[in-house]
Amino acid sequence: MTIRIPRRTALLAGLAAPFITRTGFAQSETIRIGSLTPQTGAGGPYGPAMVKTISAVIDDVNAAGGVLGRKIELISEDDETNPDAGVRAARKLIDVDRVVAILGTWASAVTTAVAPLCWENKVMLFTVSGADSITRLPHQGYIIRTQPDTNLQSARCADFMLKQGSKKVGFLSAQSPFAVSTYEQQSALLKAGGAEPVGNVIYDGAKTSFRSEIDQILKQQPDALFLNGYQPDLVVLLRELYRAGYEGRRLTPAYAANDKLLAALPPEAVEGLNAYAPSPDISSPAYKTVQGIVRANPDPYSCQTFDHANLAILALAKSGIASGVGIHDAVRSVGNEAGTAIHGAAEGVKLLASGSDVNYAGASGPCKFTPIGDITGCKFRFDVVEKGKSRLLQLS
Amino acid sequence: MAGYLASMAVFAGLTALMALGLNLIWGLAGMVNLGLVGFYAIGAYTTALLCVNFGWSPIAGIFAAVCLSAAIGCVVALVTARLKGDYLAIVTLGFAEIVRLIAANEVWLTGGTTGISNIPSLPRSMLSPMQVNFVYAGLVWIVVAFVALLLGRVSAAPFGRVLRAIREDEMVASVAGKRVLRFKIQAFAVGAAVLGLAGGLYAHYVGYVAPDAFTPLITIAVVLALTAGGTGTMRGAIIGAVLVVTLTEGTRFLAPLLSGLSPVRIAALREGLIGLCLILALSLRPTGLWPETLSKHPSEAS
Repeated sequence: MTIRIPRRTALLAGLAAPFITRTGFAQSETIRIGSLTPQTGAGGPYGPAMVKTISAVIDDVNAAGGVLGRKIELISEDDETNPDAGVRAARKLIDVDRVVAILGTWASAVTTAVAPLCWENKVMLFTVSGADSITRLPHQGYIIRTQPDTNLQSARCADFMLKQGSKKVGFLSAQSPFAVSTYEQQSALLKAGGAEPVGNVIYDGAKTSFRSEIDQILKQQPDALFLNGYQPDLVVLLRELYRAGYEGRRLTPAYAANDKLLAALPPEAVEGLNAYAPSPDISSPAYKTVQGIVRANPDPYSCQTFDHANLAILALAKSGIASGVGIHDAVRSVGNEAGTAIHGAAEGVKLLASGSDVNYAGASGPCKFTPIGDITGCKFRFDVVEKGKSRLLQLS
Repeated sequence: MAGYLASMAVFAGLTALMALGLNLIWGLAGMVNLGLVGFYAIGAYTTALLCVNFGWSPIAGIFAAVCLSAAIGCVVALVTARLKGDYLAIVTLGFAEIVRLIAANEVWLTGGTTGISNIPSLPRSMLSPMQVNFVYAGLVWIVVAFVALLLGRVSAAPFGRVLRAIREDEMVASVAGKRVLRFKIQAFAVGAAVLGLAGGLYAHYVGYVAPDAFTPLITIAVVLALTAGGTGTMRGAIIGAVLVVTLTEGTRFLAPLLSGLSPVRIAALREGLIGLCLILALSLRPTGLWPETLSKHPSEAS
C-alpha cells in the first residue's frame, strides 16, 4: 500500500503553513499579555466587556510609552467556558505566544484546569472565578483572584436578608461549585440570626423550564428566596416565579441581574428584586474609567479584569523583570499604603520609573491580597429594581 | 511553539483513540453510539478517583478505567440490544448526559462541579513541563498505534467480518448462524474500553477532571473526525482525528489577520469556519477522506 498525497491536499497544507508559523517569528520586543475569557458558552455574556477593559488599559499604557521601554501586546483567546478548550487555548498562549500573564479566566472549572499550566510555566494567572478551592491549589503564589470567596459573600448576604426581616429563606441554586457551600454558610448564619433556611433546590442551568423546582421550594412557603444562578437561567426563574404568584423577597447576584436581564423581562416580574455584588468601588476614579470604556454600567467582571491588567503592568514596572516571575514577585507591593495613590497603570508606570512608590486602588476594590492570592476585603452593594430600573439601596 | 505542538499532538492522539473506539462500535458493527463521551468520562473519573483517593499508580488506575468502561459498555449494549439507528443514538446520547449529571451532582464521590484536581501524571515528577508534553505525546501515539494495529487485526479477522455482516444486515448474519447479540456486546465492550483508555490518558495529562469537560461537543467532534476520515477503517479514524484537531486549533492562528474585529466576533467566526470546513470536506468526499474499500464477490466485481 502506498500513501499518496493528493495535489489539492498538498496545496492546502502549503497555504496553511505561513499561518501556523506566523506567530513563531513575530517580533520579540513586545511584552505579551494573554486574556482567556469566555466569548462563547455560558460565560459569553460577560467575556466581550472583560477583554474590552483589558485592551483599553494596554492601549493606554502603550500610548504613554509602554512599560520597561517595551510595548505591550494583548493576545486574546476564547475559553469557550469549557475546561478542555481552556487548556488548549492556555497552551497556545503559554507555548506559542509566551505570555507573561493570563488574565480573566471566568468559570471555576476553566481556572482550575488552566492553573497548573500557569504555575509550572511561571506564568501569572489573574482570575474572577469564585470557587473557594482555587486559591487553595498548590500555586506557589501564581494565582491572584479579585473575586471575594464564598465566605465573604455569604456573610454579607445573610446579614442583608436578616436586616430585611426575612424569617423563612429558600434557596434555588444553579449547579456550580458554590451551590452547596453558599447554602451551608448562609444557612448557618441565618439560623444564628433567628431565621429558618427552608431548603436548597439545585437545578441544571441548561434547562428551559424550572416549574418543578419552583413548586418544590414554594411548598415551604418562604418569605425570601436566594436565587443563586446566572443571567440566562435567572430570566426563566423570575418569569416563572412571577407566574406562580410568588410575592416574597428575592435576592440574587448582580452578575445575574444585569441590564440584559432587565431588558428581557416585563417590569412587573422584576419589581422589588434585590441584587448584591461585591461592589466595584463606584466612587473611585478607576470605576469611572471603566464606565467610559464599556459605555454602560460595568459588571463586576469587567471591573476586575480592568484591575488585572493594571496590576500586571504595574508589577512588571515595579519588578523591572519582563516575565511572569516579575509579576509574581511584585504584584502584592503595587498596593503599598505608603505610596502615591493611583488608579491606572499609565500614571503608575511613570511614577515607578522615577523611583517613587505607588498605591493602586482599582475599580473592583482596594486590590490588596492575602498570601494565597485572595482579596482581603471589598465593598458590597445592594440594589433594588423599581419600575424596571435598578437603584442603589446601600453600599458599604 | 514546539511545546504547544506536542500538546496538540496529545489532544489529537486522544481524539484518534476515541475515533478508533467509535469505529469498532459504529464503523464496523453499525451501532450508532453517541454516548462515547460518557465512557470517556468514566475512564477519566475512575483513574482520577483511584489515584487521588487511594494512591494507586496511574498505570493501575488506567487499567481499572479500561476494565470499568468495558464492563459498563457490556451493560449499555445489553440494555440497548433491541434498539437500532436513531433510537440507539438517542439512548446513548442520554447515557452520556446521565454520566455527566452524576458527575456534577454526586458531590460525595466526584467532587461535583468543582471536579478533581491534582491528579498525578505519568512522568511529571521527573521532567520539566516542556518535556512532559513530548514524552506524553510519544506515549499517547504509541498507544494509538498499538490500538490501531490491534483493532486492524480484529477487523481483518473473522470477528470483523461478522461485525460488518451485522452492520449490513442483522437478519442475514443470524441466519448464517452468528449469535448477533454476543458479537454486538463484545464489539461495544471493546470499543468502550478504548474510549475509557482515552479518558484515563486525558485525566493524567491534564491533571484535572470536571463535568464541564465532558460535554456532548466532544462526541460531535469525534463523530465528525470519524466521518471525515472515513468510517470503517482504522487509518480513516486517525486521519480524521488529526484533521479535526488541526482545524479547531489551526483557526486560532487566523486571529492576527482579523485584527480589526473584536474577540467575540473572531470567536464566532472561528466556530463558523470550522463548521464550514467540515461541511465542505463531507460534501466533497461524502465517504470520508480515506474510505473503507470492501472486497466484492467475484461475480459483482466484473
